[in-house]
Amino acid sequence: MKICQVERPLVSTNRIPGFEHKHLLVVRDGSSLQVAVDAVGCVPGDWVICVGSSAAREAAGSKEYPSDLTIVGIIDRWPPDGTTPQAGP
Amino acid sequence: MEIRRVVGSLVCTQRIAELAHVDLRVLQDAAGRRVVATDPVGARPDDWVFVVSGSAARYAMGNPAILTDLTVGGVIDHWPPEAASEPSSPPHGTPRR
Repeated sequence: MKICQVERPLVSTNRIPGFEHKHLLVVRDGSSLQVAVDAVGCVPGDWVICVGSSAAREAAGSKEYPSDLTIVGIIDRWPPDGTTPQAGP
Repeated sequence: MEIRRVVGSLVCTQRIAELAHVDLRVLQDAAGRRVVATDPVGARPDDWVFVVSGSAARYAMGNPAILTDLTVGGVIDHWPPEAASEPSSPPHGTPRR
């Protein structure tokens, strides 16, 4: 799974019907931009985890869904305070 | 899915039966590398599109029997998003779409 940050929604009127009406989002993975299917409902600025390959299809709704990158979770806190040592419970 | 720009169409008469008669497009990424994708939406040169790769590309064709590993998923309406702030754009220009 990849950690990405949501940049903005992607508007595509002329698209294949297989995407149905699910939201597509532009996400940043390091220096590159990718397009992901939103299965959880996130907003720009959110840090999210994304799955690829066949898990992306099933996570987006069905094994026939044509996604190769699907957002499956919103990370509560990221980055995890990189400058401070990790506090134990 | 990744974002690519359409360069043009590709004519390929002699092909395997599993590629049927689907349209093929030549795409370019930011680094200028060219790749070929099957295109069920009818993208035109200079369109920005997003592409589905891997096994999802076959489902994106609507028929998993099509042997492709890269399919155009859709044409992006406005890309890049900063284009509106280009100083060279005409003040009342309307996008031809």
